Amino acid sequence: MAQTSQKGPGNTGNNPPAKQLTSCGDVSCELLVDPIPRPTPDPIKVTLKPRMARVTFVDHHKPNSKVIMGYAQSILRERGIEVRDEIVIKEDASTRMPEAMLQSLSGEGGLVLCGISD
Amino acid sequence: MTTYATIEDIENCMDNGWTDGLPVIPPYGSLVDVMLDAMGWQAHDIVGEIASQNIVVRAEKAAATAVMAGCKPEYGALLRALTEGLLDPLLNLSGAEVTTGGAAILVIVSGPVVEQHGFEHGPNALGANCRANATVGRFAQMMRYFCGRGGGVLQSHGTVGHPGRLSFCIAEHPQTEWGPYHTQYGLPAEASAVSLMSTEGPNSVNNHYGDTGAQILDTIGDCLCHYGQTAWYYRSGGFVVVIPPDHMALVAKDFNRDQAREYIFENARRQTDLLAEVGRIANPPIAFAEVEPGALRSPLKNREQLTFIECGGTGGRFSAVIPRWVGSTNAVCKQIV
Repeated sequence: MAQTSQKGPGNTGNNPPAKQLTSCGDVSCELLVDPIPRPTPDPIKVTLKPRMARVTFVDHHKPNSKVIMGYAQSILRERGIEVRDEIVIKEDASTRMPEAMLQSLSGEGGLVLCGISD
Repeated sequence: MTTYATIEDIENCMDNGWTDGLPVIPPYGSLVDVMLDAMGWQAHDIVGEIASQNIVVRAEKAAATAVMAGCKPEYGALLRALTEGLLDPLLNLSGAEVTTGGAAILVIVSGPVVEQHGFEHGPNALGANCRANATVGRFAQMMRYFCGRGGGVLQSHGTVGHPGRLSFCIAEHPQTEWGPYHTQYGLPAEASAVSLMSTEGPNSVNNHYGDTGAQILDTIGDCLCHYGQTAWYYRSGGFVVVIPPDHMALVAKDFNRDQAREYIFENARRQTDLLAEVGRIANPPIAFAEVEPGALRSPLKNREQLTFIECGGTGGRFSAVIPRWVGSTNAVCKQIV
């Protein structure tokens, strides 16, 4: 009979917990190997609270993304929020942000919005 | 003997999120050890990384996944090459998992390994009810699912997806007209190989009355060019063309592989302005899409994006086109050693 190290809800869907499963038969128990690799602690320190009230947009070239971002810029400006004019361009939506761009954006004092869907 | 305890273990795996949605073989440590040995790894060997998510994948994760998918230890060498391919950064495994494009990882098996492990390469080659195809293809999708979501913190965003996200493994005929599939990626003909790419679902191509190779290739080319092809925006993916024996008998009379590729590249095109009219070209165009108003547009940026595989049964004049996901520019081909 299998046992879990902690009781929890049933199907965990997209967020499987890192739990140890054990199978116990009549005379012995056997560990089950968790197949899911877990991330190591993130070495990048992210500032969650902006130092200044300014929004910078990053467009990653998904269909319609620039249109949506331009519209969002105008709404924010109407509400009196400072928005950086330039929309930073990430050339390819499917790949990791280049290190230089990541470093540049990490120096932004305001809020950076990126990664919208289609 | 299967016991109720085993059934309970399966249910526990599923409750714990260790599943692709189907019941799994529980990854008992003793089974994983056998699989690790077959793959030629130690449990804590690092077999790949997903740098963008700070994920290091160790061999025991891959071996556990292989057990869960139902793979035989005899597949060990193949699974090792497959694991290395899946975690090759060029494949962009995590991108394929989370994209709105709903991509799956297509596994193409070619060379002597096809017969060695009993892969089905004849009837229903794209959806074979055969253990080797089903479990190897399932292993690849489970690796995508388990390793591509940042340990569960990311969500899959596929808009519609396709059934290949459960299993998608195609084996090539051992004897081919144009040489083994992997020779298109520079491997020697006598090798065994796995080739990987992220793809959409296959499109069937039916032509029962054409009696020339050109007619068959024109039909295939038309399938590459329908308005809905994702390729029109970026042209960064490519296509796999599946040609079964009855169509191949016509095509191979008139074309070798390079000629067929050239023929499709030159002739499978659509008027750019019509694509723009129906919204298949960004307005204004994206620079790297290389849009030329007024010109006939190919869904391919270059000839190398088009590859051919020979598989499938006889008695029907069907082929198939498998569009590659546009967010994964590279296919990965690994020799099995």
